[in-house]
Amino acid sequence: MRAPDDTTIKAGQTLLSVENVSLSFGGVKAIRGVSFDIKKGEIRAIIGPNGAGKTSMLNVINGFYHPQEGQITFKGVKRKKMRPNDAANGGIARTFQNVALFRSMTTLDNIMAGRTLKMHSNFFWQLWRYGPAEREEIEHRHKVEEIIDFLEIEHIRRVPVGRLPYGLQKRVELGRALAMEPELLLLDEPMAGMNLEEKEDMCRYIIDVNNHFGTTIALIEHDMGVVMDLANRVIVLDYGQKIADGTPDEVKANKAVIDAYLGVAH
Amino acid sequence: MAQDAIDKSVDTFPKFLLVNAKIRGDRPAIREKDLGIWQTWTWAQVKEEVKALALGLKELGVERGDKVAIIGSNKPRLYWSMAATQSIGGIPVPVYQDAVADEMSYVLQHAGAKIAIVENQEQVDKVLSISEQLPSITHLVYDEPRGLRDYDHTRLKWINEVQDIGRKAMETKYPGDAWEKMIAEGKGSDIAVILYTSGTTGKPKGVMLTYDSVVISSQNANSFDNLTEKEEVIAYLPMAWVGDHIFSYAQSYVAGYTVNCPESPETIIEDRREIGTSYAFAPPRVYENLLTLTMVRMEDAGRVKHAMFHYFLKHARKWGEKILNKEPVPLGARLLYWLGEILVYGPMKNRYGFTRVRVAYTAGEAIGPEIFRYYRSLGVNLKQLYGQTEASVYITAQPDGEIYADTVGKPSPDVEIKIEDNGEVLFRSPGVFAGYYKEPEKTAEAKTPDGWVKSGDAGFFDPKTGHLKIIDRAKDVGRLNDGTLFAPKYIENKLKFYPNIKEAVAFGDKRDYVTVMLNIDLVSVGSWAERNNVIYGSYQELAAHPRVYQMLSEHVDEVNKSLSEEGPMAGAQIKRFLILHKELDADDGELTRTQKVRRGFIADRYAPLAKGLYDGSKEVDITTDLTFEDGRKGTISARVKIEDTKTYAPAAPMDKAA
Repeated sequence: MRAPDDTTIKAGQTLLSVENVSLSFGGVKAIRGVSFDIKKGEIRAIIGPNGAGKTSMLNVINGFYHPQEGQITFKGVKRKKMRPNDAANGGIARTFQNVALFRSMTTLDNIMAGRTLKMHSNFFWQLWRYGPAEREEIEHRHKVEEIIDFLEIEHIRRVPVGRLPYGLQKRVELGRALAMEPELLLLDEPMAGMNLEEKEDMCRYIIDVNNHFGTTIALIEHDMGVVMDLANRVIVLDYGQKIADGTPDEVKANKAVIDAYLGVAH
Repeated sequence: MAQDAIDKSVDTFPKFLLVNAKIRGDRPAIREKDLGIWQTWTWAQVKEEVKALALGLKELGVERGDKVAIIGSNKPRLYWSMAATQSIGGIPVPVYQDAVADEMSYVLQHAGAKIAIVENQEQVDKVLSISEQLPSITHLVYDEPRGLRDYDHTRLKWINEVQDIGRKAMETKYPGDAWEKMIAEGKGSDIAVILYTSGTTGKPKGVMLTYDSVVISSQNANSFDNLTEKEEVIAYLPMAWVGDHIFSYAQSYVAGYTVNCPESPETIIEDRREIGTSYAFAPPRVYENLLTLTMVRMEDAGRVKHAMFHYFLKHARKWGEKILNKEPVPLGARLLYWLGEILVYGPMKNRYGFTRVRVAYTAGEAIGPEIFRYYRSLGVNLKQLYGQTEASVYITAQPDGEIYADTVGKPSPDVEIKIEDNGEVLFRSPGVFAGYYKEPEKTAEAKTPDGWVKSGDAGFFDPKTGHLKIIDRAKDVGRLNDGTLFAPKYIENKLKFYPNIKEAVAFGDKRDYVTVMLNIDLVSVGSWAERNNVIYGSYQELAAHPRVYQMLSEHVDEVNKSLSEEGPMAGAQIKRFLILHKELDADDGELTRTQKVRRGFIADRYAPLAKGLYDGSKEVDITTDLTFEDGRKGTISARVKIEDTKTYAPAAPMDKAA
């Protein structure tokens, strides 16, 4: 199943909607009847305490998990089951909580790998890097260089990512996701394990991506300060259920959210 | 001295631009690495770009005499902004891009800048944050549009838009050679640029340089080192610094050589390597870093490579400089050096981007003789110069073949130098500044009516070589009771060039003789101790070890010997020294945060030791408070030995140089 290529969705309209989705692993209910939508052009955050089902939700969105119940509509197309590569083809890219890069490959090659789906010349040409393959590679390389410039990682272009500090690896991972020119970018804890300066940098890049490319972003984050500054709208999950949904200010004032984070006397 | 056939009527940089576009229009003028590829603009193209920008600025309201601030790292468009501003009679004021908003505010206010041309969002934000204090600024122009799309664009303009405005004006308001006529109106005696000195003390001062000063200095410098249009330089030092202004802008326009702008500040080493600069300039720390990087990498190299590297390095140390200086060298040594060039020196120079370098300069502060000789032994023609903003850089420089690690060279072409009684260096040249902007009193303090400028540095002419040596800031230079000049930093630096000595503090002002307190370098002395079976439990114990004292005593002795050969410095030899029982530390206030020793503070803090140095005692007991790294306080007691050292009679009689 492929999403229609001519996207008629304008900024502010619903890009993706999740309706009544439930996911369980055996007896464990990870997500229970959650519904929300993501509008085109916004930064949407999913927050919640540990084990609230945030990453599961992200995995449902990009087709890695298949919910037992509920429906997901992406770019106006309803679907129940979808494989991750369909999601990628449809314009959903993601980064992972623990960096998942090709460690012995350079930054450049890692980001180039993100272009694979966009390469159309056949294996024969690619083998010889000749004719259409060469033209195509130059085109893709240009795009990749734009991303390298955008993320200011020129100095590590030819360094194997395994040798890079963690903050930079995260940035390379973001670069690889951007190489797909996604319509929806899913970021799983982009700032986990970073120091304050790295966090500030990453925030800047996320805002810039949203601003510059108009990419819709859904992110999971632990750091409340970051989320409240970054996101347009926030969903709060707790024990697999949605307990709040709204602007950062609304969510901050929500009683259920405060209870979930600070705990209540039962 | 001027280059052959330079037309005297070409006396401003925009005029040089027109000449370059005409006689070497197809040669590369400037390059920038963008999206991983070097983009080149020829002189003819640069002329067109500058023209569009200049007329665009004119349309934004820049009049003759208006100041245009330029803030950012080295980018072609920012260099063009300089020429564009100058071409319509404006005065560019480059500002340090890493200045915080407050510092920037002072400079922009003081200069009364009308337009600020900045590199990116970071600088736009900075200027906008202080815009209330800057009523004179009418427009803000930026080079890099990223992140700025949603900003209010009433006073904000993308540089390409400004050029579009200029191109439109070319067709309507300023057709034909209107721009060339504007350029012709400029003359050599106009102010070309105002450069704010970073000002370690007090507010920065705006140094005004005329076209004549900058042009003549550049011409002299180009002919001094035979620079031609074929040179390649890399521009990476701050544009607001006079060095960059002369090397990457003025000399390039005069000689017609190519300036290369790196991709980002982090990629300079790689970019320099790709370009293969032929004329280089860097402060000592750049050379130091490259060397350290090499040594660290070589430690990880395989056995064969490691052995080969050190074998040939030893050979180079012995013969390399002689070969570079064209001295007679035996054939065998020459052949081995040639082999080394293929196996070691060549690849090393390639790594550094020095393969094609003809002349490389270091300046700004003292460079370690070891580092200096390392590069020279590889065949890199590294030289030293001494310069100031107020002199359009050049005061002295080392001519080819007369290179010494501890001098700054002979007076540059057309420069006169004299030394005041207090040791201060005074200079006079065509490159001398016109004055400090809006500060005639300060100008009068620094510059005599007959054109001599007080450098603020103390120095002397070395009797052996006839070269100038800079010893210290003039205000730090004192005198012994017998009237001998005492330059603490000069003595301390000589000591600190020994790897075993980490810090040195010299005393002597208003005293009978010179004494020093030393700090050993724990890494270096520690590894020596390991090799020589010297057992120690702490820094304090190692510092007090008799063999360590003996070793440092030899160092002090060598320093005395070298001082005795240096004319006016001969009287200031070290009579007594001690090794401090603790490391000097910024946390205890003994060093500044930039790691400079605070002599007065140290003398007070270790008063018993300071007293002991002058009352002849052999040992002194002392208890000192100290702060541990985690913030706890404690005390440390020690019995510190004081040793006498030999001094030498002055060697050669002082020569009246220059």
